[in-house]
Amino acid sequence: MSLLPWFEWVNEFPSSIAIRESVNGYPALLTLHVVSMCLFAGLVIMMDLRLLGVGNLRTPFSQVQKRLFPGQMLGLVVSSVSGLVLVYGQPVRFYGNIFFWTKAMMMVLAAVNALAFHLTTYHSVAAWDSDAVMPSGAKLAAAFSLALWAGVVICGRLIAYNWFNPI
Amino acid sequence: MSLLQPASLLPFFEWLEAHPLSVAIRESVWFYAVDQSLHLVFLAVFAGAVLVVDLRLLGRGMRQQPVAHVARDAQSWLIWSFVGLLITGIPQGMSTAMKVYYSPFFWFKMEVMLVALIFTFTLRRRVTLADEARVGPFWGKLVGLVSIALWTAVAIPARLIGLLS
Repeated sequence: MSLLPWFEWVNEFPSSIAIRESVNGYPALLTLHVVSMCLFAGLVIMMDLRLLGVGNLRTPFSQVQKRLFPGQMLGLVVSSVSGLVLVYGQPVRFYGNIFFWTKAMMMVLAAVNALAFHLTTYHSVAAWDSDAVMPSGAKLAAAFSLALWAGVVICGRLIAYNWFNPI
Repeated sequence: MSLLQPASLLPFFEWLEAHPLSVAIRESVWFYAVDQSLHLVFLAVFAGAVLVVDLRLLGRGMRQQPVAHVARDAQSWLIWSFVGLLITGIPQGMSTAMKVYYSPFFWFKMEVMLVALIFTFTLRRRVTLADEARVGPFWGKLVGLVSIALWTAVAIPARLIGLLS
């Protein structure tokens, strides 16, 4: 079941064409995407550093997580919307790009990682909340998160390089 | 947003453009891409280190902690991620020296960045490490807002250097 016909269909929408032909639209979207990425990824990284037990040690983990969550979500919403509009403007281009799909998959894995952590290790947070040395489940979740989001940022950047033939 | 490039620096930028290192970077298929990618990763760390403190100054974020605690914890991440940004930024500027020389976005970014650096390591540093009772909420919030505004004003033209030239 190929998604390509759907992407090709959207590719011909007048609004899609308008976005990719807009002189200022694309730079504006990308800039918004990068700035909101800084908000999202920056706060996620600060939280993961605490979860790993290497940074922000003066604050209990649950506090870091709760207090940074709103900013993370705002960054996530703006990055996602700007990202979706970017793809909407050039569906066929992104469809054929391996780095786009790798990025998308890494985001899914990052979400799965966060969910898994919250459903397991996080239950015992009261026991290790203020510790400097974190339980292995916490460190694992943090390491995966950092690696995956770094991967998302890197793949995002590499989309622009047409190194591989379109899928 | 148009800021003129200093004519006196033209020979320097021409020299950078022609430098063997710049040539090598331009001829490499992968170097610039990897370098830019790492620049973005360092940027994310830097943004986090700046924002946790600025959000706290604005009375949000980790407000159960004193500002000084949040600031002290973030400090080494702030400094080292900035070093990373420099290390990955210079090869980009060098290898595209003439392009950035004629880019108003490049000069705007550099000039605002200079102001942002001075602000961050003087006034903001003093306010964040000081006793909150002495500083008061108004100055704290102002410093937080100015910091966010300045660094956003660095990030936006930075992205536009490559897109609009």
